[in-house]
Amino acid sequence: MGPCHGRVALITGSSRGLGRVIARKLSNAGADVVLNYRKAGGRSEAQAQALAKELVERGSRAVAIQADISQKDAVSTMFQEIAARYGRLDILVLNAARAPFKTVGELLRRDLLELVENNYLGNVYCMQQALPLMQGRPGHVVFVSSLGSRFALPSYPLGSMKAAMEALVKQWAAELGDRQITVNGVTAGLLKTDSLIVLRQYWPGVERLPATAFVDLEDVASVVLFLCTEASRAIRGQSIVVDNGLTNQLLHPASTG
Amino acid sequence: MAESLISSDQIYREVQKAIADALQISEQKVEPDSSLIRDLAAESLDFIDINFRLEQRFNVGMPRKYFLEHVEELFGEGTAIDQSGHLTEAAVTIWNARLGSVGPQVHAGMPLDDVPALVTPRTLVMIVEEILATCPAACPACGKAAWAVADGGSITCGGCGAHPPLLTGDDVIRRWLEDFRARGGLVSRAS
Repeated sequence: MGPCHGRVALITGSSRGLGRVIARKLSNAGADVVLNYRKAGGRSEAQAQALAKELVERGSRAVAIQADISQKDAVSTMFQEIAARYGRLDILVLNAARAPFKTVGELLRRDLLELVENNYLGNVYCMQQALPLMQGRPGHVVFVSSLGSRFALPSYPLGSMKAAMEALVKQWAAELGDRQITVNGVTAGLLKTDSLIVLRQYWPGVERLPATAFVDLEDVASVVLFLCTEASRAIRGQSIVVDNGLTNQLLHPASTG
Repeated sequence: MAESLISSDQIYREVQKAIADALQISEQKVEPDSSLIRDLAAESLDFIDINFRLEQRFNVGMPRKYFLEHVEELFGEGTAIDQSGHLTEAAVTIWNARLGSVGPQVHAGMPLDDVPALVTPRTLVMIVEEILATCPAACPACGKAAWAVADGGSITCGGCGAHPPLLTGDDVIRRWLEDFRARGGLVSRAS
């Protein structure tokens, strides 16, 4: 029996990339997973439904729910569906993100709203809606952050939202301190996911960095899983860097390629 | 100009392949006027992936921003998109001036969110052609007019092997918009 057996877990933005790997990891650990994707009719819907089907066929409980988390009403509807289906929520992984990739000077008002609505407000809506479903039992919230919260990355205003969320993680962890709910973050390093597709447009040659500069999705998901289990219950309000050591050392060997 | 070094058909075949590879679908599903979003289920990240593949193939810089975003940046926010996220009359005027002959039409009041669905393989071919058309007649490095195409995609100088200094897709759009403004296009229509 896995460490998450009998727990209900929502992973936002879990049709692809890291969210998908986290969902699979939590399912393997015994959780009933609620997958989430933003848009109906696109590839992400097909991918989320396919993953849900695969997990169900393996004997797990899983469902995929469409909701654009930047829309308060859509978040509310998603949580109503979770309440109706499971009557509870034990684990909330805030993974969904969506952002323009522009320099600060290029950001239009619309871009700024997109940043805030998707990556700050949307997460707060989810946290607020999750709380009533998490009452009275040990629960875990994990925010998926990135090194952009602490370091400048090219054309990556999303980093400022990650920083805001890391601060909010602390705030919320403190507020929920006397309950049994932990709130933490995982600050992921360079990932070879869809994010690399974006990054390589603004960071020429990023795909040629040595393999050690990247962190495996599985390794990030493992830390998320740990933060979703009772073994981590004394960790509160921390955002843990999982970057394969990239930012631990200032000097890296020059590439010989 | 080295525009004709790579034919439209050749560019189209590469666009078709880039789309099929990025979306993991068969090339037969991709038609010149397929909406990448509506017909082929592409999402915003897929656009970036498709552009990256075309950049690798043709050694070009595809636009990072949509045409109407450039309009907003150059002419001021609110010119093309109103507060509620809908296209203005000015957006329609400028869109038709640039893209009237390519792909579907836009109309005033149309939600901005519906615009990406207008992107088709034909649009991407046009963008690649426009970028390749910025190739100078002679190589600035060695002075020879001897451009050749390697592997059906990347233009190199037959004299020294250098790549031509092509404008990026964003530069092409900005330059077009500046010309448009110089011609009094938007100003005369709006006033």
